[in-house]
Amino acid sequence: MIEVRELRRSFGGVKALDGVTLTVGDGERRAVIGPNGAGKTTLFNVLTGELPPTGGDVRLAGAEITRLRPWQRARLGLARVYQRTELFAPLSARENVALAVAARAGPYRAFRAPPRSEYAAADALLERVGLAGRENAAARILSHGERRQLELAVALAQRPRVLLLDEPTAGMSPAETARITELISGLDRALTILIVEHDMDVVFRLADRVSVLHEGRVIADGTVSEIRGDVRVHDVYLGKAVSVA
Amino acid sequence: MTRAARWVALAAVAVGLVTFPYWSAAWESSRFATTVLRDMLVFAIFALSLDILVGHAGMPSLGHAAFFGGGAYAAGIASQRLGTDQLPITLAAAVLVAALLALVIGLLVVRSEGIFLLMLTLALAQIVFAIAFQWTAVTGGSNGLAGVSRPTLFGIDLSAPDRMYVLVAATFLVVSLLIWSLMRSPYGRALTGVRENERRMRALGYDTTRLKLSAFVVAGMIAGVAGALSAYSQRFVSPGDAGIGTSVQAFVMVLIGGAGTILGPVLGAGVVMYIQRVLSSAIPVSETVLGLVFIGFVLLARQGIVGLGRAAYARVRAP
Amino acid sequence: MSPELLFQQALNGLSFGALLFILAAGLSLVFGMMDVVNLAHGAFYMLGAYVALTVVQFTGSFWLALAAAPVALGALGLAIEPLLLRHLRGRHLDQVLLTIGVSLVIVDLIGLIWGREVRSLPFPPGLDGTVVLIGGVYPVYRLFVIAFGVALAAVIAVIYRRTKLGMLIRAGVEDAEMLGALGVNTDRLFALTFAVGAALAGLAGVIAAPVFGLQPGMDVDALLYSLVVVVVGGLGTLGGAVAGSVLVGPVDTFGKVLFQEFALAVIFAIVALVLLFKPTGLLGRIRIAR
Repeated sequence: MIEVRELRRSFGGVKALDGVTLTVGDGERRAVIGPNGAGKTTLFNVLTGELPPTGGDVRLAGAEITRLRPWQRARLGLARVYQRTELFAPLSARENVALAVAARAGPYRAFRAPPRSEYAAADALLERVGLAGRENAAARILSHGERRQLELAVALAQRPRVLLLDEPTAGMSPAETARITELISGLDRALTILIVEHDMDVVFRLADRVSVLHEGRVIADGTVSEIRGDVRVHDVYLGKAVSVA
Repeated sequence: MTRAARWVALAAVAVGLVTFPYWSAAWESSRFATTVLRDMLVFAIFALSLDILVGHAGMPSLGHAAFFGGGAYAAGIASQRLGTDQLPITLAAAVLVAALLALVIGLLVVRSEGIFLLMLTLALAQIVFAIAFQWTAVTGGSNGLAGVSRPTLFGIDLSAPDRMYVLVAATFLVVSLLIWSLMRSPYGRALTGVRENERRMRALGYDTTRLKLSAFVVAGMIAGVAGALSAYSQRFVSPGDAGIGTSVQAFVMVLIGGAGTILGPVLGAGVVMYIQRVLSSAIPVSETVLGLVFIGFVLLARQGIVGLGRAAYARVRAP
Repeated sequence: MSPELLFQQALNGLSFGALLFILAAGLSLVFGMMDVVNLAHGAFYMLGAYVALTVVQFTGSFWLALAAAPVALGALGLAIEPLLLRHLRGRHLDQVLLTIGVSLVIVDLIGLIWGREVRSLPFPPGLDGTVVLIGGVYPVYRLFVIAFGVALAAVIAVIYRRTKLGMLIRAGVEDAEMLGALGVNTDRLFALTFAVGAALAGLAGVIAAPVFGLQPGMDVDALLYSLVVVVVGGLGTLGGAVAGSVLVGPVDTFGKVLFQEFALAVIFAIVALVLLFKPTGLLGRIRIAR
């Protein structure tokens, strides 16, 4: 479903991505882990099109999307949940989701109020992520955990084929983490999910396969149990790995 | 108040507004109030169009007078060069010229934001002003375009002050209704999204560049309509109609009244016009008053009069 | 164009450029430090000229006016920043809007106090003559303007590079937030910077007054020109103000001579182009402030 080949991205002299290659299958749940600065968020930014790569290419369902703008990739079924919440603060939870629902129909519909079906769909999604009863609350007054739930609802409203989750449990209490993990685990199996996470329990619970990023490269790629036992991965996290210049 | 009652009240106000010169003749025969109200409504249309950019789309523009002046000149020049007074023709000329200007300027500014957008729109509008000021052969140069005739519509001559007023008031009502319904539609909701978080809108699949450009052109066209009405009313177009002073004036109206609403720009136009036309004959420091009022709103009531009203209403509602 | 005329116009361009530098330096400095485009800058310029008018009226001394106007404007700037702008810290767009209001008030009060007719300031005695140069006779005052501009730039450069104040300002332009985190009183620094910007604008007003006179609308012209210089040369740096004024001064002068009708449009087209392709200007550096 997603194919990334020799992806490179430099900032000045810093090589954030130094030849990243990985392939995520249809319906697979892939975790991307690695120490801070390994390039995980940069990888996501290149995948969504917010950052152009300095080399390599990106494919979605076989089609090359390296040159496409973010909104074009979204239309092709790529959705993202951001690390730092990116919502429409003064709008209600319902309106936040409705905007995502309406994106498919296109915005150039003027002179009529938005169809009720959009708001009904929004409410259904809010219920699905556990925000029933909070539909009218403005996004900015929601708690941190509730906002992450809302983010998920917004992303799901895009009816994506691929979902990119950028540290979905960051800053959450154990109870909230458990709830979000259950939610993600219960998502449609046809959905391909790429998840960046630091919390290993979440990774082991959700992922089919794991890719380990270090200094802009994939150093290990395998099932959860394979990665668990991989010495290189341990070294990377404990700082013993020697940098490949 | 029920919804139906609200509509009836609005309709009553609308009718009263359009027929103002006829029922006010009893207590003011000098037509001063009619003239001031007429000019207020012209600027209300202008301010409403700017609010599409400033309040709804989140694109602060200090160059909106380019479309107002452009429309004014187009209407005036069309009526003189084409030798016609037909309203549909001269108004169409104004809208067309304004739309074209807005498209060109819009394409150039649509990727900027914040202070850069402010300065870019200012600079580009100055080009329009400079052309108006110096292209004497076409625009009359620094002396302006004089002798703009008032239009006729389907044979009805609209030169008389009360008829001119009706044209302006009717146009104002149409424009208000248009913008109101536009902002409630998916299009308006998308603009709100762009204003609040453009990055997220792109991630959702909206082509925000095209959305912003379309808003720019729509706002420009409506400003052009206001400009044409100004040309007819004053029978005169000056380069200042495209200048920074006019742009600033509209911005002040939007902010004082309340950006992002329908009532806001209208109230703002009323307040500013009142200060400039009525207060100015009573006291010599009217512009100073305007400046101080504006400063006050920026500091203390950023959401304008409408914002103050909403806050007061909320306070009353839930103590 | 004959070589004599060319030389004369070149001198005109340079003297205009010198004036533009004095005018634009303040705007650039304030933007670099506070991320605020002071749209009242033209009003400050105008006020400086009118203050000079009054000083000359009462004392007959141009030189006293040259000293008094910047002081007066500096005081005004020192009052405005803490009274008004400080309340809007972090809201850069709103601060710009505030300066619009300030400009409206100042310009109206000027009209009220001094009237709206065109006034003029006589050349100071000693600088009111002409001198014989290659191109023929040339007004001494314009040469004075060039010399003054260069001298001022040198003084500013010294203060900027070699004094503690200059270092603070340079650091503030680079990253005011960091400076505050280090314990520097950024409130006072901002107020001072704003005051200096206003003072420079006032100074420009005095210098320009004998050449351009005083009339309503001079604030708009000054604001627009200083915006042009700052954008072209580089937003936020003094070097940019130099580069911009050295470029715009002669270009505008020759443009008016050669293109007459559309010189103004051409200038603003250049601004638009620069903003589009290199928004930081030729030498500028900015931080993207949200």
